[in-house]
Amino acid sequence: MAEIRVKSEISGSVWKIEVKIGDRVDEDTPLVILESMKMEIPLLAPEAGVVREIRVREGDPIAEGEIAVILE
Amino acid sequence: MPFEDIVAEFARRRDKALEMGGPDKLARRRAAGHLNARERLDLLLDPGSLAESGMFAAAIRPEQRERTPADGKIAGFGRIDGRAVAVVANDFTVLGASSSVINMKKIRHVKEVAETRGLPLILLGESSGARMPDRMGAAGRAMLGQDPAEYRRLRRTPWVSALLGPCYGSSTWYACMSDCVVMRKGATMAVASPRVTSLAINQPIEPEELGGWRLHAETTGLVDVVADTDEAALAAVKRFLSYLPSHHGEPPPMAPVPPEADAASARILDLLPESRKAVYDVRRIVRAIVDPESLFELKPRFGRSAMTGLARLAGRSIGIIANNPLYKGGAIDVDACRKITSFLVLCDSFNLPIVILVDQPGFLIGLEGEKQGAPGRIINWMNALSLVTMPRIAIILRKSYGQAYLNMGGGRNSDEVACWPSADLGFMEPAVGVNVLYGVREEDDPERYQALVAELSRDTSAWALAELYEAQAVIDPRDTRAFLAATLDTHVLRLTGGVGQHLMANWPTSY
Repeated sequence: MAEIRVKSEISGSVWKIEVKIGDRVDEDTPLVILESMKMEIPLLAPEAGVVREIRVREGDPIAEGEIAVILE
Repeated sequence: MPFEDIVAEFARRRDKALEMGGPDKLARRRAAGHLNARERLDLLLDPGSLAESGMFAAAIRPEQRERTPADGKIAGFGRIDGRAVAVVANDFTVLGASSSVINMKKIRHVKEVAETRGLPLILLGESSGARMPDRMGAAGRAMLGQDPAEYRRLRRTPWVSALLGPCYGSSTWYACMSDCVVMRKGATMAVASPRVTSLAINQPIEPEELGGWRLHAETTGLVDVVADTDEAALAAVKRFLSYLPSHHGEPPPMAPVPPEADAASARILDLLPESRKAVYDVRRIVRAIVDPESLFELKPRFGRSAMTGLARLAGRSIGIIANNPLYKGGAIDVDACRKITSFLVLCDSFNLPIVILVDQPGFLIGLEGEKQGAPGRIINWMNALSLVTMPRIAIILRKSYGQAYLNMGGGRNSDEVACWPSADLGFMEPAVGVNVLYGVREEDDPERYQALVAELSRDTSAWALAELYEAQAVIDPRDTRAFLAATLDTHVLRLTGGVGQHLMANWPTSY
């Protein structure tokens, strides 16, 4: 099955991780909540899948385009 | 029976044309789950309304005449919901609906009738490109370019394209000239086919990668609506046209107001989070304001930090632009700028008033945006906004910061501005501004930082803007629908029968 690399659309920091490895998620499920521009902005699953890898930790800085989660 | 031979010959020729590329090719399409060109027309048009133009046209080469019914592009006039339209449906079973001398004459004629008689034009795309060997050599060149206005767009009538299979050549060009492009999943749109492209760059190419729905819905923005099936794609074509007038010289049609249309407004405060830090999906707020089930979003997967869509409010067709904090906190990126500019051109060209819902922390600044020419896109948008002659009503829900305050209709960039009491006006987020202006971070000097945040947050309220008469009203969010209905009614262009000046009618069809 194809892997889906979920990238951050903005620069900021990782505030909260909302899923764990093995979770089955639907399209638009919040995977990670980022903090940017003084807002809490969810990173949503672009399509349904299973969480295979979480590449960030709470508190980490994250750049635009950086991969946060890999689904399959 | 008198004229028996003539009638029989007519029936034979008509039946042959209706057979298209023959039973084998039609059966293969059916097996693959795709409608053929005539089935598509049956679904698109009111029953029995097709008046075909060029049923007996055929290829100019004598050896191809017998196997080119309608020369691969079925054209004519019909009705949708009782309103007259012009249509061209590519018949892929006839030489891949390749463009030829004769079928290009058909397109030209139908297009000209649509433009001069005020009919929407619908193009059902599925074509392989230029017909060979017709285009070879100087003689092949000589059949091209005979109509210098072939690729001119003046937006006299709405054009809609549906991409319903492999689209190379004319289907692609006409889609890119259209006001709305619907793509069925599995269709592709590109300059040249994967085979030609692959040979040119000496690399294997996957059709989906070259021109699939994700590319065009998410990255290029050339596709407005994605559909799962041919049937859903044709329904989307009809739906788009239902919001628009038949031509630029009349206002859009009014629709009946559904029962209970006001009910959702009462719940609007449940949809807006109280915390300034929390985000939300603005589409839920839009749906609570407009007539039930009337929001028809365009380019929903492209430039998602802004939403653009057609809708109805108290039966009146409107265009809605709204920042969407769910994506990028509502920060406006280059794709959102491109999407909004093209939407302004669409609305103004076809006499749709524009409602702007504002909640944005500014433009998304950064290297990526600058590489994409962000300043140029921002000013294209401002230029477009200044050329809009249809009414523009802006409602500031929460934030409106920075230069983007103007792009989102601030000041005299809209005809009326109203604020929700939650509106927040400033040059940027105060907590960030303190660092930018004074170089003070919270961790360095918490007390001074808080004092400066309070200083920057002063006089940024809806009340402050209303005192300056920069907001003409402050409204209870639950009254937004009623306010808009009344304000849109006030601003009807009575002196011109609801018709704008169309100053951007010749603007580009993609940005």
